[in-house]
Amino acid sequence: MTDTYVTTNMTAHDRTPIPVLACLATAGAVVLLMMVFGLLLRLAQGGMLDLAPDTFYELLTLHGAGMVGIAALGSVAVMWYFLGQYVRLSGAVFVANLVLFLVGVVMILASVLFGGFAGAWTFLYPLPAQPMGVWSAHAAALFVGGLLVIGTGFLLLYLDVARAILGRYGSLGRALGWPQLFGHDDGRAPPVAVVASTMVLIINTIGITTGAAILVMTLVNLYVPAFGIDPLLAKNMTYFFGHVFINATIYMAVIAVYEILPRYTGRPWKSSKVVLAAWNASVIMVMTNYPHHLLMDFAMPEWALVAGQVISYASGLPVLVVTVIGALTNVHRSGMRWDLASGLLLLSVFGWGAGVIPAIIDATVVINQVMHNTLWVPGHFHTYLLLGMLPMVLGFMYFLARGGRPTDAAGAERGIDRIGFWVFAVAGLGFVLAFLAGGRAGAPRRYAEHLAQWLPYDRAGALFAALVLAATLVFVARFLLRLGSARGRVA
Amino acid sequence: MVVNLLPGPGRWQLLAVYLLLATPPLRDWLEAGMVMHMLVQLPLLAGLGVLAVRRLPARLRNRLDRCNAAGVPLTLLALFAIAFWMLPRSLDAALNQPAMELAKFVSLPLLVGAPLALSWRRLPAVGRGFLWSNLLSMLVVLGWLYSAAPVRVCTNYLVDQQQLLGRGLLLLALGLALWLAGQVLFGDSPRRAAQATG
Ligand code: HEM
Repeated sequence: MTDTYVTTNMTAHDRTPIPVLACLATAGAVVLLMMVFGLLLRLAQGGMLDLAPDTFYELLTLHGAGMVGIAALGSVAVMWYFLGQYVRLSGAVFVANLVLFLVGVVMILASVLFGGFAGAWTFLYPLPAQPMGVWSAHAAALFVGGLLVIGTGFLLLYLDVARAILGRYGSLGRALGWPQLFGHDDGRAPPVAVVASTMVLIINTIGITTGAAILVMTLVNLYVPAFGIDPLLAKNMTYFFGHVFINATIYMAVIAVYEILPRYTGRPWKSSKVVLAAWNASVIMVMTNYPHHLLMDFAMPEWALVAGQVISYASGLPVLVVTVIGALTNVHRSGMRWDLASGLLLLSVFGWGAGVIPAIIDATVVINQVMHNTLWVPGHFHTYLLLGMLPMVLGFMYFLARGGRPTDAAGAERGIDRIGFWVFAVAGLGFVLAFLAGGRAGAPRRYAEHLAQWLPYDRAGALFAALVLAATLVFVARFLLRLGSARGRVA
Repeated sequence: MVVNLLPGPGRWQLLAVYLLLATPPLRDWLEAGMVMHMLVQLPLLAGLGVLAVRRLPARLRNRLDRCNAAGVPLTLLALFAIAFWMLPRSLDAALNQPAMELAKFVSLPLLVGAPLALSWRRLPAVGRGFLWSNLLSMLVVLGWLYSAAPVRVCTNYLVDQQQLLGRGLLLLALGLALWLAGQVLFGDSPRRAAQATG
C-alpha cells in the first residue's frame, strides 16, 4: 500500500478546492502586511523611524497575533489538502473556520486600532486587565473575544478531522500507527500525513480547550476584577495553549515536505517504525515541554522546570531528525528537478532544524537566566517560523501554482523567482542572525527603545527584513497570478 | 400518566429511584452539601430523564424526532435549562421554596436529561465533539469561579463548601478529559471503522 500511495494520491484531487486557495491567498496577503509591520518595528528599534511607544506596542501586538494566525491558517490549508486525499473531510467546516477566522481578525483589528489594545498576542494576565489607562476593558475583551472566535473555528476544524480519521481508522491509536509501532510492521501503517494530522488534532484540541478556559476566565476578570486569577496558573494555561498552537503550525506545514518531495523524487516516504515512533513521542513532548517559558518563575515546582528542560532537549528532536534525515535520503541522488517548490521545502527543513538549536540552548536553566526575554528568543523562533514554517507553506503554494505537476516543464518559474529564493534564504538568515546577535549583546525583547550599542544589530535586521519582504512579495504575487493553474487539474 | 408513557421493563424501578431521590432523608442528605447537590443530585435527576427516554414507545419517539432537526432544538433547550440550574441563586431558591424544588425535580429529567438523550445521536459528530470540549473548558472556568469567588454565593452553603465544589469541578474536568482521551485513543475501533467505511 505504501508503495502505491505516491501514485494513487496524486490523482485524488481533481481540482484544488477553492477554500484552500482562499486560505492561502489570505495568508499570503496578511503575511506581507505583517512583514511590513515587522519592518516598521525593526526600523523603530534601530532609531530610523519615529514611532510613539504605544504605536510600537500596538504594531507588535498585531504582528504577533497576525503572524501566529496566518501560520495556523496557511499550515491548516496544507494539512487539509493532503489529509483530504486519505479521509473524507467536510468542506463546510473548513469554510466555517475561514469565516470565523476573518471575524476574529476584524475583532482583533478593531481592539488594537480603535481600542488601543497593546498587550501582545500572548494576552498574559494581568497585563490585559491592568493597562494603566492605556486601553479600556472593552478593548481587551474584544481582543480576547477575537482569539476565542478564532480558536472556536480551529476547534471545529480539528473535530472534523477527528471525525474523518476515526471514520477511516476507528481509533486515534490506529491512526498513529500503534499496531505497526508496537506489533508487527505489516507495511500498512497510515501515511505520514495521517499520523501528523492525528498528532496535531490531539495536541490542538487539548490546547484550544485549555485556551478557551483561560480566555473566558480573562473575560470574567476584565469585568469583575474581584474574581482574581492565580497569575502562575494563568501563565501555565496561557503558555500551554500558545506554545502548543504555534508548534502545531510547523507539524501541519511539514506535511508538505512529506507529501511533495516524494513526488519530485518518485520515492515514497514510508511510515516506518522510526517515523511512527518519532511522531508518537512528540504527541506527549510538545504538550509537556512548555515549562521552558516559565524557567524564571521561581514559584513553579522545581520538578516541573527540570522536566521542562529535559523534555525540551528531547522534544524537538525525534520528528526533526527523522524529517531531516528522511528528506535528505529522499532527495539524495534522486535526479529530481530543482524548482521553487522543492527548493523552498528543502530550505524549510534546514530552517526548522537550525531554529531548534538556539531554542534548545535557551531552554537550559542556567542559560535562560541570562538570555530570557532577550532578542535571542525572537531570534530562534523567527528562524523556525520564517525559515521553516513559512517556506513550507510557500513551497506548497509554488507546488499548486505549477498545477501540482512537479515533473512538467510547463509553468516553470522565471528568473525573478529564483532570485527571490536566494534573497529570501540569505536575507532571512541575516535577519535572524541579527536578532540572535542582538540577544547575545543583551538587547531585551519587546522594547520600543534600544540603547546605542544595540542599534547596529537593529539596523542590519531592518535591512535584511526589507529584502525578505521583497522576496516574499515575489512569491505571493506569483501565486496570485497563477491562481488559475493552482486551481487546475492535479493529474 | 408518566408511567403509562413508559412501557417495557424497568419503568417501576425508574419511578422508584425517582421517588426515593425525592424522599426527605435522601433528599436532605444529598442537599446538605454543595458538592453533593451540584455534582450528584442534579446529574442523577438528569440521568433518570436519559433512562426514561430509552423506554419511550417508538411512535412517540418518532414524533419527537420530527420536531428535533439534527438534534439541535432539543439540545438548545437542554443547554438553557442547564444554564439556569448552574446559577447559585437557583440552587438557593430550590432549597428555600418548595415550588422551586418541585421545578428542579421536574425540569432536570424532562428539560435536561430527556432532550439530551433524544438529541445526542442525531447531532453531527463535530457538534458532539464541540459540546464535549465546551463542557470541559466550562467545568474548568466554573471550578475557578467557585474557588476564586470573593463572596459567599449561596445563602445555604458556607464558603468552604463552594471552594470544595470548585475543586470538585476541576477534578471532574480532569477525569472526564482522561476518559475521553481513552475513548478516542483506544476506542472499540474495528467495528466503528467497518461501519464508517462499509
Ligand atoms: C520580514 C519578516 C519579519 C520581520 C521584519 C519581523 C519583525 C519582528 C520584530 C521586530 C519583532 C519584535 C521583536 C522584539 O521583541 O523586540 C517580532 C516579533 C514576533 N514575530 Fe516577527 N518578523 C518577521 C516575520 C515573522 C514571521 C514569518 C512570523 C511567524 C510566522 C513572526 C512572528 C512573530 C512573533 C510571534 C513575534 C512575537 C511578538 C511578541 O513578542 O509579542 N514574525 N517580529
